[in-house]
Amino acid sequence: MIKEMNTIEFDALDKQGVMLVEFYSKTCGPCKMLAFVLKDISKADPDLSIYTIDFDENKELKDKCGVKGFPTILFLKDGLEVSRLEGLKQKPAIIKEIEKMKN
Amino acid sequence: MSNFISYTYEEHVITRQNKAEKVFLANFEADAPILENAHVIVNPYLINPLAALILFKTEKTASVTMTLHGKNNARENIVKEFSETTSHTIPVIGLYENIETKVTIELSTGEKKEFFVKGQVVPKAVSRCRNILTSIDYFGTDFMFLSTAGKSLPSAYDYKGEIRWLLTINTMFDLKRLKNGNILTGSPRYSRMPYNGTGLIELNLLGKIIKEYRMPGNYHHDQFELSDGNIMALTQDFHTDTVEDMIALLDRETGKVIKTWDFKDFLPQDQAGSGSQDAHDWFHNNALWVDEANKTITLSGRHQDALVNFNYETNTLNWIIGDPEGWSEDMQKYFFKPVGDLSKFDWQYEPHACVVCPNGDVMAFDNGQYRSKSKDKYIKNRDNFSRGVRYHIDTEKMEIEQVWQFGKEWGPSFFSPYISNVEYYADGHYLIHSGGIGTIDGFASDVLPAFLDRSDENVDVFSKTVEEKDGVICFYLEVEGNFYRAERLSAYHDKENVTFGDGKLLGELDITPTFGTIPDVEEVMKIVPIENQISIVEEEDKLVFHGTFERGSLVMIVLEGPDEDHGYYINTAAVRHLAMCSGAFLEKDDRTIKHNISKHGLSGKYDIKVIIDDYKYQTGISIFC
Repeated sequence: MIKEMNTIEFDALDKQGVMLVEFYSKTCGPCKMLAFVLKDISKADPDLSIYTIDFDENKELKDKCGVKGFPTILFLKDGLEVSRLEGLKQKPAIIKEIEKMKN
Repeated sequence: MSNFISYTYEEHVITRQNKAEKVFLANFEADAPILENAHVIVNPYLINPLAALILFKTEKTASVTMTLHGKNNARENIVKEFSETTSHTIPVIGLYENIETKVTIELSTGEKKEFFVKGQVVPKAVSRCRNILTSIDYFGTDFMFLSTAGKSLPSAYDYKGEIRWLLTINTMFDLKRLKNGNILTGSPRYSRMPYNGTGLIELNLLGKIIKEYRMPGNYHHDQFELSDGNIMALTQDFHTDTVEDMIALLDRETGKVIKTWDFKDFLPQDQAGSGSQDAHDWFHNNALWVDEANKTITLSGRHQDALVNFNYETNTLNWIIGDPEGWSEDMQKYFFKPVGDLSKFDWQYEPHACVVCPNGDVMAFDNGQYRSKSKDKYIKNRDNFSRGVRYHIDTEKMEIEQVWQFGKEWGPSFFSPYISNVEYYADGHYLIHSGGIGTIDGFASDVLPAFLDRSDENVDVFSKTVEEKDGVICFYLEVEGNFYRAERLSAYHDKENVTFGDGKLLGELDITPTFGTIPDVEEVMKIVPIENQISIVEEEDKLVFHGTFERGSLVMIVLEGPDEDHGYYINTAAVRHLAMCSGAFLEKDDRTIKHNISKHGLSGKYDIKVIIDDYKYQTGISIFC
């Protein structure tokens, strides 16, 4: 499941379990490419929660999360950051982080 | 259908040269000309307009004395003897441009003929000498070869500053004479930004490419011929996140990579970065010097302000010359303590080129950019200096003494933030080439000169080459444009100055990495929009895709094949390059991208399509691999 979120929605979210949070920008080519990668991952694992957050419109949240650029993916378990990937990454690199988080 | 897409098939220079050579040799055999009506072929290998071949036969075996006459006086004459034969193929190297140069051929049998050989017109873009100070007593008939760092063409200048040798292809980086007399330099064929060519080329001074050594990780900056003829060349592994941090050992016969060394095995990547360092180009290796007796290699690493020596058999670090500030405690044991006259001592910063002298002293070109390890102490380029420097090191006591330098006294007028080199001829006799000078309004530019707009009248880009002997400047050359290195060579050498037979394409390119996910967008039966200015240049072993895209576009080249599709993601984000040691591949419009796709690993017919944001477009072009 992929869902777009803003700061208010994200703050109110029940963060139990494993989730991916992607900070993106509408003006970023690598972010557009990453959207297709995440779509692919979601297709294979529909239960995985993937939230996308507009970097430019949610400045407070990205600062709170220490996100400096886009695209950035945070891997969260029970609301705590386990790891992050910065820049465009391919599917295997992202799946590796998900597996690490699940185990 | 392909009205808007430019497609070109470009034959490799080697292929074109092989064909040209076959034609002139066949004509030579068919006509069997004698000296009187010898065949004179100017620019026989198509890339050196200032060279010629004189071909003739003699009934009896005879040796030849060739005299290439100077423009001004007989002391400028270049004289070369060629051994006995009946089939004479005489290379003429060093013609004057666009005038008839007198060449005398004298046979050992007494026969003699004068030829007037006109060098071709050289391209307008050639870099002219602005100022030269030397004498024929000092420089003789040698040429100063300047290898390129950008759009300038590799050129060689005589003692008067006249261009006497030139290639019309943009070979890159270091240019060295091999033991067999040929020269080795970087291939001009594009592989990857910022300045990675496909590998190395070995050529003779006529311009004939004997071999291209293709390298999977490509080639950059420097190479070194070993005693067995094999070559160590600087490279990288594009499958990792870092660049310019490896050496490849190439088999001279096959071009294959025999062994590699990765500096990440013995150097930390997160310490003591220079002002230009980033995580990707953490070391920026720009030179190597191999000491086979001691099994060591000395490296110049611009982005750690360091000259590093390691044992290439054990892969262990021996020592580091550089400012120890910023290095961790456990690394301090590798650094030297300055001794001697400390008022004259300076460390090198962001160096290029390193040379180990016969007594073990280490020389380098100290570009000096930033000239500090601490950001708050960085020196502006307009207040800085570059220099050649020689250090004496005692590896037992770990002490270092600066025993010579040239350049500090010239201040910013000799400052190059990048490229450049030094050469050791004998104790007290050195070459110092400051090849990367760039000024705006007369002040040293804070922008790397490779990025400066030379059409701006306030911008000036040039290089200065000096030879100093026993404290006296015996040679000074100032040339338009930036040049990577300078190398003083004679036009002729004692080995074979001309060789025939097909040039070879050796080694192999890497399989170009694909992107695993191909965006599932709507395919339209339309050609890519004209504003994207797509062009495709196919070569024997690769293709280069050119296009212009708005920043932030999603772009992917898709090769749709018989069994599977290959997607190549194109980054359209602005890329800030902190190093640009050759601007040969830079585009005027920085939205223009070039993407190289190696044919290695591809097989069959592929239709080329392009994804731009929400659509997959047609190009109407297919390739066969």
